[in-house]
Amino acid sequence: MPLPPNRVDYSPIIDRPTIKWPNDARVALWIAPNVEHYEYEPEFDGNRDPWPRTPYPDVQGYAYRDYGNRVGFWRMTDVLDKYNIRCCVSLNMAVLEHFPEIGEAMVQRNYDFMSHGIYNTRYLNTYTEEQEREFYRDTIDTLKRHTGKQLKGMLGPAISGTEHTPDLMAEAGLIYHTDWMHDDQPVPIRVKSGKLVSVPYSIELNDAPLFRQHYEGDYFAEICKAQFDQLYQEGAESGRVMCIALHPYLIGQPHRARYLDDVLGYIMSHDGVWQTTADDIAEYYIANYYDEAVEHAARLNSSE
Amino acid sequence: MPAERRFGMDHEHYDWSPFNKRGILRWPDNARVALCVIVDLDHPEWDPPADSFTTPFAGGLAARGFPDYARLSHREYGHRVGIFRVLDTLRKHGIPATVAMDAMTAENYPYLVRHCLDAGAEIIGHGVSLSRMITSKMSEGEEREYISQSVSALTRATGNAPAGWLGPEYGESARTPQLLSEAGIGYVCDWVNDEQPYPLHSPHGEMFTLPVMWELDDVSALWDRRVVIGRYQQLLEESFETLYEDGQQNGRLMALNLHPWLIGQPFRIGYLDRALGRMMRRGGVWAATGSEIIDWFQRNPPTA
Repeated sequence: MPLPPNRVDYSPIIDRPTIKWPNDARVALWIAPNVEHYEYEPEFDGNRDPWPRTPYPDVQGYAYRDYGNRVGFWRMTDVLDKYNIRCCVSLNMAVLEHFPEIGEAMVQRNYDFMSHGIYNTRYLNTYTEEQEREFYRDTIDTLKRHTGKQLKGMLGPAISGTEHTPDLMAEAGLIYHTDWMHDDQPVPIRVKSGKLVSVPYSIELNDAPLFRQHYEGDYFAEICKAQFDQLYQEGAESGRVMCIALHPYLIGQPHRARYLDDVLGYIMSHDGVWQTTADDIAEYYIANYYDEAVEHAARLNSSE
Repeated sequence: MPAERRFGMDHEHYDWSPFNKRGILRWPDNARVALCVIVDLDHPEWDPPADSFTTPFAGGLAARGFPDYARLSHREYGHRVGIFRVLDTLRKHGIPATVAMDAMTAENYPYLVRHCLDAGAEIIGHGVSLSRMITSKMSEGEEREYISQSVSALTRATGNAPAGWLGPEYGESARTPQLLSEAGIGYVCDWVNDEQPYPLHSPHGEMFTLPVMWELDDVSALWDRRVVIGRYQQLLEESFETLYEDGQQNGRLMALNLHPWLIGQPFRIGYLDRALGRMMRRGGVWAATGSEIIDWFQRNPPTA
């Protein structure tokens, strides 16, 4: 946006360089399971209360989420495997240390990983610049140590950040940030050094906000298909990104997993779908479109 | 001031007027329903002034504390992507848009101003930003200055002074209609209390309301009340059918207020498209801008 925080140049989607995905795909589809651990007795940072319902621990809230790692994850991956989906996991890094079987299952499937912080109960908002630098070193090292993968992007822990976050991410060598809900295509994010893009994540096609309301699996399936239909149609002209965000404790419930099956069965029956990861979308975009997009937006905004 | 127990309204803005005691309103060509679609383009500020007031506006996510990349960029989606889907849908059905645009959008998104004007939209006043509602906390001088800032930003951006007004989040103080009238505004959409326009009292010239259907506002339905999107399509169609039937005797107004960041999401737009398609297939529907409707009403007041 042209206004503070001055990170993004305005660029209307109808007036941009055309994006061609590999094999002329119309839609780049990425599936983002949020594999998380919420601490039993977290430290309150004075800003955001991880368990606002009760004094710590909140056993109901804790165990509901822990169900995702014990049970839901495995049911979810059964469905994903049926369609050979290669996920880009939004990962609380400490899961690799606490629950190695989950790490192994993800590595075995060659998933990609974006950082979702260390724990879902530790937010960035109150971090100093130096603490945040150390945080990136930690998440990069932890992922490398346990999976062999180089960290490329982040969805802020519980979608938190600081004003410095994009700059410090880029400084640490990350190339994408998925906290931005502003587009159906990747968008360059202005940083002090390096190149950073947003890759469209979804807070709407996302089981967490949906299933905390009265919506259920059938509605999730309906809107995922409607989203796909619209983007697929538009993607014939210029490539679009579609993300489905999952949480194993929600989508892995016995009454819900079948709707994920329904959605993937529908989408994957189409030609022209690039089932990929945010890592690959970001790299492809930076290699092929980043410079052109920056120039185009600069031209558009300076001619006004 | 607490109400005095006497006949009529407990304020001086307009007269009490029960529908069953009114004259007959005839629309052009004896249309039964005048359809007005208002499209909001408003900007939530990254760091609003400390003394500004806003309701906890809907933004897709609960507020997560500063900095809130996700929540604000979800709104920005409307400016970058959603607006074009909404305007395309309206054009497809021959419905001229009435765009409520705040000063920050008018000043910082010249591309959007031009695009709306090229699409034949009427642009009406919508305050300074989403983060700054008008409330009775403003002094009269502050409110006058606020309205003037909004009106002059639109006048500079579009070449014309706006004829209409919708306050951010429908916000008003107890003196807003008169101050708007003093600033040259001819109609206001904040009063969600009728199915026909009606006159407001103003010492500064003729002034009218263009009442919006609050329950059909997409934020009210889809966000506040979490109506599922398929049901929302039905609500639009059912409302229309009732107004169409009632409009046979006495012309009705159906004024919708829509938000591109919300209804313009890929999975939602098709439902709006189908609802508007059903309405516009019927004869006897007059799709018009706010000014066209108010001009007609002014020249052709209801007759006994």
